[in-house]
Amino acid sequence: MMHVLIVDDQALNRILLSKMLEQEGYKISFAYNGLDALNVLKREEIDIVLLDVLMPVMDGFEAAEKIKQLNSEVYLPIIFITSLEDQASFERCLAVGGDDFIHKPFDKVILHAKIKAHSRTRELSKKANQQKKLLEYHHNQIESEHEIIENIFSNSLENQGKFKKYLDFNLSPASMFNGDVFLVAQSPIGNLYCMLGDFTGHGLAAAIGALPLSRVFYTMVQKGMAVNDIVCELNLLLYNLLPGHMFCAANIIELSASGKSVSAWLGGLPDAYLIDNEGNVKQTLESQHMALGILDGHEFEYEVIHFEVDPSTRLVLATDGIIETENNSNTFFGEERFLETLKSKPMISSEDIIQSVSKFANGSAQQDDLSVVLLNCLPIIPEEQEREAFSTLAFNLSLSLNSEQIKKTDPVYDVVNILSSVEGLKAHRSNIFLLLSEAYNNALDHGVLGLDSEIKKQEDGFFQYYELREAALANLTGAMIIIDMRYCPDTLCLYFIICDSGRGFSNKSAAREPTLVNNEFGRGLSLLEEVAEKVTYNASGNQVEMCYKLS
Amino acid sequence: MSLTKNESVDGTTLTIQIKGKFDFNLVQSFRQAYAQMSEKTVKVIIDLRETDYMDSSALGMLLNMKKTIEGQVKTIEISNCQPQLRKILQISRFDKKFDIS
Repeated sequence: MMHVLIVDDQALNRILLSKMLEQEGYKISFAYNGLDALNVLKREEIDIVLLDVLMPVMDGFEAAEKIKQLNSEVYLPIIFITSLEDQASFERCLAVGGDDFIHKPFDKVILHAKIKAHSRTRELSKKANQQKKLLEYHHNQIESEHEIIENIFSNSLENQGKFKKYLDFNLSPASMFNGDVFLVAQSPIGNLYCMLGDFTGHGLAAAIGALPLSRVFYTMVQKGMAVNDIVCELNLLLYNLLPGHMFCAANIIELSASGKSVSAWLGGLPDAYLIDNEGNVKQTLESQHMALGILDGHEFEYEVIHFEVDPSTRLVLATDGIIETENNSNTFFGEERFLETLKSKPMISSEDIIQSVSKFANGSAQQDDLSVVLLNCLPIIPEEQEREAFSTLAFNLSLSLNSEQIKKTDPVYDVVNILSSVEGLKAHRSNIFLLLSEAYNNALDHGVLGLDSEIKKQEDGFFQYYELREAALANLTGAMIIIDMRYCPDTLCLYFIICDSGRGFSNKSAAREPTLVNNEFGRGLSLLEEVAEKVTYNASGNQVEMCYKLS
Repeated sequence: MSLTKNESVDGTTLTIQIKGKFDFNLVQSFRQAYAQMSEKTVKVIIDLRETDYMDSSALGMLLNMKKTIEGQVKTIEISNCQPQLRKILQISRFDKKFDIS
């Protein structure tokens, strides 16, 4: 129900107006002057004010101004009560905020028409105000959410500072969130991986995929996986995660720690370039595959390309925002200008490139995220891996294998796995494997099975030897191999004794034989001598003792 | 323990990747991996990034491979060795016969 405030010092006017309005079912309140009206407005929710001009204490002009000031959010109509002949004051009424007039003597039809019209406007204004408040609320909420998300993004994506010597990159997002993503990480053996990705669109929706993507990327690099394994995993992740119309064009690069070779998977980004320090293109690397997140696991193509590089080579990666930047006359920046820019000065920086693109755009609004990466193909030193402290617990480990166990088990692998779980020994697992494998296979092949390595010299002898070994192993009975191990934390040594039930291998000749790199065999025992601190055989040649120094 | 082989997009590089241990058990699958190489192949990469262990039989297998395909390809590279395996290859003077990176 509309609530009308009648402000008039004359009782007659108040009565006349209220009679007319009550008939229409409006709620009525009264005030006797301007000040009084302001008080009523403070107390009550009024929809329309009928305001007399000349009143004691505070007149209508002053009151109108104050009423409008106090009700600036929602339209509160003020209809001045005037005499027709009082034309001179009309202008002032409007100037102080009056919205309409009702003239004395009052006409019922006109009064109703005016009140209806103004109440409609007030209703609209109320709705608009509600919506505005709702919008403000949502806006504030989004702002604060964006702040949080931005923080998460910067924490999870920005670790690239470590590789300044190798990488120069510039990412310039079109909005607060970047749909382009650039990730860098180094594997334990020192290879440098980087990934430049461009998600469909830009802004938060495009950026959100970068979070899971970066987790998988970093985890796999930490494990030192190959680029093709990494892309398979990333593709599957995005295929399952992104809606059908979204994908991620990407270049994934692995530069070997030697700085000599690169493996690259190129999917859906503009051409990458190998340039020299002057910016001349040595090789153009075209995209080979569809972007990530489009094809399912079976259809996906994970093939990489390999190429050789040297310290004077730089690899240039860019997203399509660069070449598709438009200027005022709707011309693209384009590949040609991009290549010219690369040549415009020696050792050009990513900053230079972005500057030249924005100079070209000449104030045209940025349409897409712009990213450019320059990778200097230099050798890299692997990061120091933290050395685990050695266990202080001394122990012995002993295994006796009978014929059945020899046939069915892989004792070397299992024993190395057991030893690797001892603190400090994991870093030595490759050497421990080598020692045990050589000694055990010697005991098995030449001691227990009585095979002769001479066969390996013949054409295809390697495979013949393998078949003979399989056959001899299948028929093995009554044999035994014993492996004894001792870990001594005081001397930081591992001691091994491997002993077999065979007649003893001719260790003397084997050990004395010169290590010819071309030989397919005879390398094993000399390797033992190199890797172990000390190797000794017993007189009959069926037992070998080795000491391996851990420090 | 497993062996995978991949050709590069242009077919010029064959990558043989060995996961886990590289020893006598792989003798057949390793030979098969380079037996039917495409004629386009000019480079073979033995990728040891996920190889934890190798012994002298692996060295023998590598030499055997070299003898077989030497005439066919330009480069045989042993790449991404863990430090201890690299040491084993160096002790065996394999750095004289292969590109080790």
